[in-house]
Amino acid sequence: MDGSFRKIDIDQYDEDVLLESELYEPDERDPSQVVSDAKQKAATVRQSLARGDTAGALTTALEGAPYGPNVDEAKNLTLQTVVSILNSTKATEIPNIVRALSPDAQDTLMKYLYKGMAMPGWGDVSGSVLLGWHEKLTEAAGTGCIVRAMTDRRLV
Amino acid sequence: MAPPELYSLGQNQTAISSHAFNANRTEVAVSLNSKDATIWERRGHEWKQTETLSEHDKLITSIDWAPKSNRIVTCAQDRNAYVWQQSPDSQTGRMIWKPTLVLLRINRAATHVRWSPNEDKFAVASGARAIAICSFDPEGDWWVSRLLKKPIRSTVLSVDWHPNNVLLAAGSADMKARVFSAYIKDVDKRPAPTVWGEKLPFNTICGEYSSHAGGWVHAVGFSPSGDVLAFASHDSSISIVYPGGPAIYTIKLSSLPLLTLTWTTENSIIAAGHDCQPLVFSGSEGGWDLTGTLDDPNANKTGGGAARAGLGNASPVGRLNSAAFNTFRNADTRGISSGPGSPGPSAESELFTVHQNTITSVRLYEGIPGNVARVSTSGVDGKLVVWDVAQVSPIGVTGIVGRLAGTHLK
Repeated sequence: MDGSFRKIDIDQYDEDVLLESELYEPDERDPSQVVSDAKQKAATVRQSLARGDTAGALTTALEGAPYGPNVDEAKNLTLQTVVSILNSTKATEIPNIVRALSPDAQDTLMKYLYKGMAMPGWGDVSGSVLLGWHEKLTEAAGTGCIVRAMTDRRLV
Repeated sequence: MAPPELYSLGQNQTAISSHAFNANRTEVAVSLNSKDATIWERRGHEWKQTETLSEHDKLITSIDWAPKSNRIVTCAQDRNAYVWQQSPDSQTGRMIWKPTLVLLRINRAATHVRWSPNEDKFAVASGARAIAICSFDPEGDWWVSRLLKKPIRSTVLSVDWHPNNVLLAAGSADMKARVFSAYIKDVDKRPAPTVWGEKLPFNTICGEYSSHAGGWVHAVGFSPSGDVLAFASHDSSISIVYPGGPAIYTIKLSSLPLLTLTWTTENSIIAAGHDCQPLVFSGSEGGWDLTGTLDDPNANKTGGGAARAGLGNASPVGRLNSAAFNTFRNADTRGISSGPGSPGPSAESELFTVHQNTITSVRLYEGIPGNVARVSTSGVDGKLVVWDVAQVSPIGVTGIVGRLAGTHLK
């Protein structure tokens, strides 16, 4: 039997179709602006890490995280930045760092943890490091933080 | 200090889809996850099933009992609603509940129904991206429905009426909570201006709100005065909207999402959901906070006291240390699995809350809007619980930790 009809995009015939972009408020920044912001943040983070200020570096990296369409470059760059911080932190310091983050930053960090876990082997992503952070972050921010990372359509 | 009254209506933990008490709380209408609604009568400390209202073809999703006119409305997945009215049987003279079919004109399941404060209208939320506003037409001797459609983009999950009988709040799966005008010319007098607007023809949108992380809006509720709106969404948050402000206070929870809420005074809300306990929020125009729970974690529950204390203190992440979690951990680390041959739910699988599963409905039980003394909750565990709203226990450091609300000016 011909199954090609199953591949027809029926949503195009629906005037009331709910589009992905209508589910969240778009980022007001221009895509090129987002990329340059991400590059600038990466530089700031390197300086903070050199000073040994991991908490400060993480806060900077998680601020204004790129989301939405057309900003893949900035998304990858930010993920790389976050992962580099996560990898260079001693396990004993993690609880204090995650507690010091603002609730919004905690939610964003959780999104990056899940994004990292979804891309094993990408860059320096290490499953055991991410799981260590995930445990400590859940202890500090609760299951609500996980629910928000899963619910939020502003994908990082 | 009376403990919460606990009644198990569902046999073998059959879920309670919805419950509604009559005006003097001697009877309760519940739907036990089926196409029938049942009416139970209070006999001392027990409830006895007296009648069955069967007319729907599919699962009943919501029930509401109008206190003054003593009418019940039910809605179901069969896309219909029935209004039930008591009248004497022509042969025996006994009072029986007579159904009247309401033509809703929706092509998807009905999800939620509520009588308006004057009991001359009711609103039915549905999966058809619409809300049916039904009013009685005495000439045709039937209930007619008018649909609120724009700009709803997905299933409507809950509705709540403003005390002025005209405005309606709706929470929807398109991540928005909205305030509509459900003004019907033949029924309503011209409403006085409110903080939500002055001119209010049918289907006027008076407000549209969402929380930051989005998520389906599971529950909405107007404050007793009608000047404030609260909504709970699936990002584990509850938001309180002051339209005059215009400020939205969003409280992010560290626990699982809330599914239902009710205002007890102008400054406090009780909300419950997947975390199995009713939480108390209080605040005012200056800000809102999670203040505690009605489920005292230190109270000794029958049979579960020890397990409760152990579970409650072992982990800082309340529910993570639940039976399901332990089952998987034991299977993982020790190779212990509880197969089908093992005994049923043991004391260890008991949650350290009164409700043993998600709470799907919290409703006013005793008192008047603005001064509620007790609320009732029902849920997936088949239990109906009546709580004294004054008995708020603080949430300990080992329990769920409510994080402060971030004030957000829009």
